[in-house]
Parts: sequence; C-alpha cells; structure tokens
Amino acid sequence: MDFALSDEQKQIKEEVARFAENEIEPVAQEYDVEEKYPWEIIDKAADAGLLGAHIPFEYGGADYGNLESALITEELFAVDPGIGLSLTSTSFGADAIMEFGTEDQKERFLEPIPTGDAIMGAAISEPDTGSDVSSVSTQAEKDGDEWVINGNKMWITNGSIGDYYVVLCETDPDAEGRYNGFSQIVVESDRDGFEADKITGKLGIRASDTAELMLNDVRVPEENLIGNRGMGFLQQMQFFDETRTAVAAQGVGIAKGASEAALSYAQEREQFDRPISDFQAIQHKLADMHTRTEAARMLTYKAAWNVDQGEDITQLASMAKEFGSRVAVDVANEAVQIHGGAGFVNDFPVERFYRDAKITQIYEGTTEIQKNIIARELLGKGY
Amino acid sequence: MKVLVTVKEVAAVEDEFEIDGTAIDEAYLEYDLNEWDDYAIEEGVQISESEDDVEVVSVTIGPERSEETIRMALAKGADRAVRVWDDSLEDAEMLDVEAKTNLLAAVVEEEEPDLVLSGVQADDDGFGATGVSLADEVGFEWAAVVNDLELDVEGGVASVRRELEGGVEELTDVDLPAVLTIQTGINEPRYASLRGIRQAQRKEIKPMTLDDLGLSADVAESDLEIVDMYEPETESDATLFEGSPDETAGQLAEVLRDGGVGQ
Repeated sequence: MDFALSDEQKQIKEEVARFAENEIEPVAQEYDVEEKYPWEIIDKAADAGLLGAHIPFEYGGADYGNLESALITEELFAVDPGIGLSLTSTSFGADAIMEFGTEDQKERFLEPIPTGDAIMGAAISEPDTGSDVSSVSTQAEKDGDEWVINGNKMWITNGSIGDYYVVLCETDPDAEGRYNGFSQIVVESDRDGFEADKITGKLGIRASDTAELMLNDVRVPEENLIGNRGMGFLQQMQFFDETRTAVAAQGVGIAKGASEAALSYAQEREQFDRPISDFQAIQHKLADMHTRTEAARMLTYKAAWNVDQGEDITQLASMAKEFGSRVAVDVANEAVQIHGGAGFVNDFPVERFYRDAKITQIYEGTTEIQKNIIARELLGKGY
Repeated sequence: MKVLVTVKEVAAVEDEFEIDGTAIDEAYLEYDLNEWDDYAIEEGVQISESEDDVEVVSVTIGPERSEETIRMALAKGADRAVRVWDDSLEDAEMLDVEAKTNLLAAVVEEEEPDLVLSGVQADDDGFGATGVSLADEVGFEWAAVVNDLELDVEGGVASVRRELEGGVEELTDVDLPAVLTIQTGINEPRYASLRGIRQAQRKEIKPMTLDDLGLSADVAESDLEIVDMYEPETESDATLFEGSPDETAGQLAEVLRDGGVGQ
C-alpha cells in the first residue's frame, strides 16, 4: 500500500495551486457577484496548458487519469468553486467520445478542448428528468442521413457558452427494457433550431454557466452519433464512477478552502485579548473540520485510484461523492461560524464556499440517490 | 545552438523558525526553485521557441531532492537536465562561489554551450556572484543583471540591457559564448502546462559526480566559514502625513528632497 503522491502528482498540485492563487483568487468575488462566465481565466488557463487534463496525448491533452484530475479539481475548488468548475467542465461529455467515438469524432471534438478553442458539455437532465435518468424524453429521429432532434435539456453546464454537447436522446422508443433505446448524439450550438437560455439566480457556483437548451427540429449529420444506437444510456452509465469521484473531489476542495480559511482567520481574529484560536471551542471545530476534510480526501483518492485501475467501483464512488459533498457543506458551515459576522458577508471567501458547497449534494446524483446506491450494493439488490 | 541554464533549489524559512547554531533547523525550511532562475529558464525556453535548433539544458548542483525543482524546468520546456552531486559535497558546510564556479565550469566544459543563463542571485545565500565568476573561469564574455535580451544567433552577438545602480541602464553587445545573469522582470515566466509536466517525467536528468566531472573532493573546500547566524533586528520607521493632498504633497516633497531622491 502506498499513500504518497508521486513527484509528478505533487508538481501538478503545486502548479495548479499557483495558478489558482495568482489568477483566480483576485477575481473570484467579482465573477460570483456578477454571475458572469470567466472567459478571461479560461483564456489564461488555455495558454498555461491547464485545460482538458484527461484528453489523450494524441489529441493535445495530458492524458491524465482520475486521480490527477481529482488533484486538479481539489486545488481549483479550494480557491473558487465557480471558476474551478468553469475550468474543469470545458471537457464535460468528452469521456463518451474518448471511449466510444470514431477517429473522426475524436479529432473534431477532442482536439479543440485543451487549446481552449472549444468548450463542450453533456446534456442529460430535462425539466422532468432529474434523478430518474431513464425517463429522458428528448427525441432523435432518423431522416435520411441526419438526426432530427426535439426536446428540452435542463441544468446544462456550459449551456449558453459552449460549442457542442453530447446529448442523451431517445432514438428507439419501442426498444424493450427500461435502459435501451437511448443514444448519445453530438449537437453543435450553431445548428438551426438550437437555443439556450442562461439560468441565473443560482445559490452558488455562479461563475459557471448553466442553461436550459431548447432543441427544435435541430438537424445534425448521422456521423454525430456516439457509439452504438440504442446503447446511449448504458454508455452514459459507465462514467458515473468517474463523474461522482470528480464531484467528491470538488467537495474535498471546498472543504480544504473553507477549513484553511477558518484556520487562518481564527489565528488573526482577537477577542478577549487573544486570538480566538486560543479557545477550545474554536480549536475543536478546527480539529473536526480538518479531520473530516482529510477523511473525505482519502475516500476520494481511493475512489479515483480504483477507477484508474479499471475497477468497477459503484459503491465506493457513491460513498466518496456522498461523504465528500456532506463534508463540504458541513465544513463550509463551520467556517462561516468561526468567522462570525465577517463570514456572513462576502469580504471573506467562506461566504462563497458556504453557498457553493450545496450543489455538490445535488448534482451528479443527489445525496439520497447515492445512499440508495450504497445500500443497494450492500444488499446485493442489483439495479 | 545550445543554451545552458543554471538553476538552484533555494531554502525558504517559515514565518516562525529556530536557529540551531549556524544553521536553521530543517523542519522550518521549504525548498523551491530560485525566483531569478525561473526567469532564466523562461528566457532560455523563449529562445528555443523563436530560433531553430536550440537545445536548452538545465544544470543544478544539489541532492536528489532537488530533482523535483529541476523537473519543473523540464516541464516548462528545457530539453534535458544535469544534476551534479557527490557524497563529499553532502558533507560540506556550505558551497561557496568558488566551489560552484568550479563545478559549473566542469559542466560547461562538458556541454560546450553557446550561452549560459543564470539568475542574478540566489534567494537564500544571495552571493550574486556565481554567474560572473563562472564566465571568468571558463573565459566567456559576460553581462550581469540583464533585463532585456536580443539574440543574433548568426552573428553570435547578444544585445542586452543591463540594470545598474540608481535607475541607470546600460545597453551593450556581448559576443558569444557568454554568460548572462538574468534579472527578474525580463519576461513573464510561464506556468508549467499539464502536458509539459507529463512529458518532463520522461526527460533525462543526468546525475554527475565529481569523478564524472574530473574533479576531486577538495573542490568543496572553502576559505569561508559561517561563524554566526542570527535574525536581524527589525524596526519600522514610517511617517504618516495627514491632511489634504495640498498640504501633504509639500511635506512629502520635502522628505524626498532631504533624502536626496528629488531635486
């Protein structure tokens, strides 16, 4: 058993942390308040070669695995979750193309990601399709050598600023079995009939773009189908281990950022003629926050490492995701408490962490769904 | 063309630390790439990006731990690296300018670079002399505290701008081969890209011992001895002018004039 990060992994962490501190931290509050997409930071990250970490080498990426991606996510989210998500999400949906795409699709859709020339997304959720993914109602019908797509997609990350999306559609409504008859099709945002509505007023991760997509008779060439027709849902399912581990890493990042901010504030803030870190009530909070953050980190690294070994880790990924997001919410809450009144306004980053943390318990499968999965696996009940 | 960039892993102390005799306890030290050397690497990599057939070789003197630092030079675009270390260097209390000069001179003889870039000074011991001393030893031309560089590869000339005291700058041409000591601000050092970090793991860091360089253990002998180590007393002396800009501007001007800054 080896608990140490390699030199290479340490270098990744250090360099990403340096970028986050120099380039993101000074502007994080501004993008949060104005709820605007951080184009300027995306450009800088593209120049610095920090985008598309897991895109294969031959398509311009660094070919990094889930553990390295988790380290990157952690460091970015520890400084600002909204901009962090904007940076890590430019390749959302790329997994499907990497695994099931043709050579032509890989060149078209993967190569522009690490250079920052394109931003992509994955479009699964719909207004009436949240946790019950198999109820997707967006239809794709074959017409000659084109797919004609109709339907609405909801809560789509990068929805109003992206260049193309891997859209989960129903292509064969008559297929037998709950999980059959769906397909993944790439839809470019400049196609006729594609419309996106930016969703504003979010509680947190406000720099990250979220939109509703409206697809009205959008025609895409048949070669935009990813993998096999009718297998889209099952193809999609394969990446839940990856995506849940990634959200676990987001939670760890938020907990790290919040617990470190609380530690430094507690040493600076003086009451009753001494720093509040001298009080045992505060010390115990800090001890608990840092301990739980470390526990979430170990669970996340273990999940990420196992995914990289090619293991099927449904239960572990759900444990990491559920625990990591819960720790993020709890630690951010305590960080605000330690800051007192100062934590209730956005002069300090903990106010942002408090709001940003909540989404990690909701997206990529809610806490409740994760617990269902863990219990299902424990009890051997299958799907 | 070959560019040799000398880099050093420097020690930085934490805010609170303890001095143990003539050294600072290891527990309070963190190691990082010397800030000036980061600019030297960037300058070397920029040359390799703008000119054809340029090899950038990075060299450091340090224990195995320093590979992490020199690996960052490789991640930023240096082609390969040389790390000089030896048990007899490990035992030395300090490596002075003369020792480093001799070690680096042996590397220069081995590599035969056209241009050597070094940081103006190291952030820890701060001698600020190794680059120029190396030039003298190997018989290269040199320019110190360079904050702008134009290279004419075919003509074999480096046109440099040097920072002198009192805000004065000097423009001068230096014939290659040369050693230039690089000042911060000459460029904007890049972040190591993820791809670069990945690729750097496969680049060569060649370990070289004193034997490999044809040197004997007495290279580390020094006429210098550290006799004391203490924290300098700090004092602050700030004058705050309060009032309207009309009143305070005159007061500030007076202080500047008395201090010899303004006329």
